[in-house]
Amino acid sequence: MIQTILDALSYGGLYGLAALGIGLVFGVMRLVNFAHGELIAIGAYLLIVTIDLGLPISIGIAVTGTAILALLMEFSVFKRLRLAEPSVLLIASFGVSVFLQRLYEVIFGALPLSGQIAPWMTGVIEFGDTTITRGSVVTIGLALVLLGGMWFFIEKTTLGLQIRAASSDFHTARLLGVRSNRVIGAAFVFSGVLAAAVAFVLVTQRGSVDPLFGVNITILALVGTVIGGLGSLQGAALGGFAVGTTISLLNSFLGNYRIYTYTWLFILVIIVLLVRPGGLISNKAVKERV
Amino acid sequence: MSLLNVKGLQAGYGKVHVLFDGNINVESGELVGIVGPNGAGKSTFLGAIAGAVKASHGTIEFEGESIRSKNPEDIVRLGLALVPEGRAIFTDLTVNENLRLGLTGRREKSGAQKAIEEVIDLFPVLTTHRNYQAGLLSGGQQQQLAIARALVSEPKLLMLDEPSLGLSPTVIQDVFGVLSRIQEKGTAIIVVEQRAHLVMSIAARTLVIREGQVRATLSREDTQDEAKLAAAYFGTGEDLE
Repeated sequence: MIQTILDALSYGGLYGLAALGIGLVFGVMRLVNFAHGELIAIGAYLLIVTIDLGLPISIGIAVTGTAILALLMEFSVFKRLRLAEPSVLLIASFGVSVFLQRLYEVIFGALPLSGQIAPWMTGVIEFGDTTITRGSVVTIGLALVLLGGMWFFIEKTTLGLQIRAASSDFHTARLLGVRSNRVIGAAFVFSGVLAAAVAFVLVTQRGSVDPLFGVNITILALVGTVIGGLGSLQGAALGGFAVGTTISLLNSFLGNYRIYTYTWLFILVIIVLLVRPGGLISNKAVKERV
Repeated sequence: MSLLNVKGLQAGYGKVHVLFDGNINVESGELVGIVGPNGAGKSTFLGAIAGAVKASHGTIEFEGESIRSKNPEDIVRLGLALVPEGRAIFTDLTVNENLRLGLTGRREKSGAQKAIEEVIDLFPVLTTHRNYQAGLLSGGQQQQLAIARALVSEPKLLMLDEPSLGLSPTVIQDVFGVLSRIQEKGTAIIVVEQRAHLVMSIAARTLVIREGQVRATLSREDTQDEAKLAAAYFGTGEDLE
């Protein structure tokens, strides 16, 4: 039972991190970035390729590399589409996503690339008759630290205040002097950092990475951002947490019927959206870019 | 040299042109009104000056410097602040956070806290609500917050787009009373209003915009001349100068 709860919390934390990364970029650009999955994938590739240098260095390279790729996406594609309709941005992000998947195939191959990142995370901790996996504990700790750090940055710093303002009404934020390139660049960098954290947890669980590595969690995290309330950063984290926790609990309770996990998940998603169309934390100030 | 000099300004949204011939000249410390019917292009005019709406033709000079191709975030740093129509405060943020955002456009980074305190003195009602969520304020309080937020950047020119919108007559008097006090401190002001009498009562001169063009300039004395006002406003006669 304790393991079930810990699994649910760790899944929730993981999906919360992924959804917050997506929510940050959506907030300031109204861009639903499908290529977030490829940020997670590059983080995992960099971890596996550089793990021989030692875990701390490997993590440093993965975080830096993922953040740089996120910035490259912004500078090379999305910055040129600032005045475009949200639908154009969406299609562009699909394009970036597919391009990067093919690029990963060319560089790393289409087959899964295996490697052990942190084997100690697969072990168990025993408390009398109860055993819990180290992976769950580390994931929960990592999620708490990163979500806490992001909360501090968003709520307590000037740049965080500017990102919140830009997420609420970008047009007015610029009129007050908020530099659009600065807040959008910061949102992409933090989105990349969060993607690297998600990559670390996922690749230690799976032990391999392939070009489609980040697609599944990105789609479910996107569902989380919608459930939480598009345009709300707290909502994105909360929605992602809710989706991750629900998947984990459904997997546990459905047992042999776990193939229906996503069926039940999306039934619940539809019910939530019928009751609260604006999401759990509705941001009524969501406005289009001009 | 004028504080603001705009000539032959054209602006719009995509292929839709709204402003065809925007002209205005504002001196330091002057209060100028702009009136006109709905859809005349008043908000587009202010938006184009502030850099929020793309101008396609014409010149905009602020203290002799061309600002037509500048971003809104750079224009506010030069000392030109816009309070948009509908107040556009950040309802999810607190009053204090809204005011802190206003500091972003300051030219001088020192004295920020003092600037907030000075502005708060103009709007005492905000003092007791500084930690309130801005969305919980009344319409009049939100309008005062929007003006206060623009003022903490210490603009040389403050532009207000329909500050009376949705406010009760008493609150409107309060807001316009504050505008006179802001002007007394040396800040130039442009006020766009639907209520012509209201703005003409405090402005030295008032421009009339109709169908995207500045058609007339009225003086304070013209407030009493209903025929002249109607002719300028609705175009029932020759354009007036």
